[in-house]
Amino acid sequence: MKVLKFGAVWCSGCIVMKPRWQEIEKENSWLKTEYYDFDKDKEAVEKWKIDKNLPTFVFLGKNGKEFLRLHGEPSKEELLKVINENKNK
Amino acid sequence: MKKLVNFFLFCILLFSLFSSLSLAQETNQSKEINIYFFWAEGCPHCSAEKVFLSKLDEKYDNLDIHILEVTKSRENAELLAKIGNELNADVSGVPFTVIGKQYFIGWYNEETTGKAIEDAVQCVIKNHCADIVSGLITQITQKEQPVSKNLIPEKLNLPIIGEVETKSLSLPILTMLIAGLDGFNPCAMWVLLFLISLLFGIQNKKRMWIFGGGFIAASAFIYFLFMTAWLKLVTFLGFILWVRLAIGSVALWAAYSNFKEYFTNPTGGCKVTGEKKRQKVFEYLKKIITERNVIIAFLGIVALAFAVNLIELVCSLGLPAVYTQILALSNLPGWLYYLYLILYVFIFILPLLFIFIISMKTLQLTGISTKHGRIARLISGIIMLILGLLMIFKPELLMFG
Repeated sequence: MKVLKFGAVWCSGCIVMKPRWQEIEKENSWLKTEYYDFDKDKEAVEKWKIDKNLPTFVFLGKNGKEFLRLHGEPSKEELLKVINENKNK
Repeated sequence: MKKLVNFFLFCILLFSLFSSLSLAQETNQSKEINIYFFWAEGCPHCSAEKVFLSKLDEKYDNLDIHILEVTKSRENAELLAKIGNELNADVSGVPFTVIGKQYFIGWYNEETTGKAIEDAVQCVIKNHCADIVSGLITQITQKEQPVSKNLIPEKLNLPIIGEVETKSLSLPILTMLIAGLDGFNPCAMWVLLFLISLLFGIQNKKRMWIFGGGFIAASAFIYFLFMTAWLKLVTFLGFILWVRLAIGSVALWAAYSNFKEYFTNPTGGCKVTGEKKRQKVFEYLKKIITERNVIIAFLGIVALAFAVNLIELVCSLGLPAVYTQILALSNLPGWLYYLYLILYVFIFILPLLFIFIISMKTLQLTGISTKHGRIARLISGIIMLILGLLMIFKPELLMFG
């Protein structure tokens, strides 16, 4: 499983989510994550059609296909639940 | 606690007893000077003048105040029209007050209109000026009760705090509440966050503090200027019914927008809008930050703060406009209006200050959760709905001081 994280420096919610993700990544070293800046990484933004609100988290399965998309500020518990339930995807 | 409540009840009882006694005394005294006060229900400036006339009635023993409502009584409206013809005066607006030969349209405050009315009373006392209206009146069909006396004491002596004016208690609370809600969604925040992220790159602490501080100070200043200008405008036009109704409608629209935002964006987060505007601001900021001359760079940031805050005023969803209208409805000394505006702006910029100071201290971008902003939107919606309805239907309840 892989998580694509889309954020921006001007987005307060994205800044709030940063340490939350850092903790999750530290506790789950097997988890692959990639961060994309909404203003700099235009290619990825267009590819994954990020056009509503930030931060956006795109969850990809082993086949590289998106199976879930979350917006805003989900709690650490909510994220861990999603990650653990889809660990083998 | 129970003793304190009993004490207050006793005070109120005593106060109302004295009030009724003094009322009885007044009615026994001879009335010589007629004041004809034409007003309309729902007119906040009329209510403000009523309060003043009540004080004037207490000050002078020989006043006879005729309180004449013009929207419900055809006779009163006709009388007002007759007076307009006689005095060659425009009687399209209320309050309209006549003393002797002098008349007053509208109400500003006790220091201006109030003083002019009292001067007219003095003039009648000293010169025995003719009473133009009494000749016109064949009968005043609908003479209302004298201005009601207040049963609530105007001042309370509280332990530790000291003497507190009861009427002025709610305005500071309302100020802090509205400003706090406005501050939770400061529209200039995205620019500040971008500025801070760029400031980290220049590795010069002094410059970082000057630029960030300058941006926040300029944002506060432009907000204060805007609110002062708006206050002047609504104070000048406030007695016109449609202005009040228009601002009440703005409040209702703001309530709708806040509710909509709350329900349609349940996860919080930042909306992606204004791509071109954002890119322009980013490019401009990058240029300024790298400017060698500190003064030019500082002025550039101040100019940006002015521009951003003016453009983003619409995004504050009418909160400052509605607040200034409430201030305008209130009868306060001139300097106190500015003090309230300063309090409002100070509370409004607190989140910006918080983000800037914490980011500077930790050298890490700090954000405020958008979830709090979402709750603030819900509370804003409820408050705007209440204020909007009050402003349209019961403006007298929003008059403080």
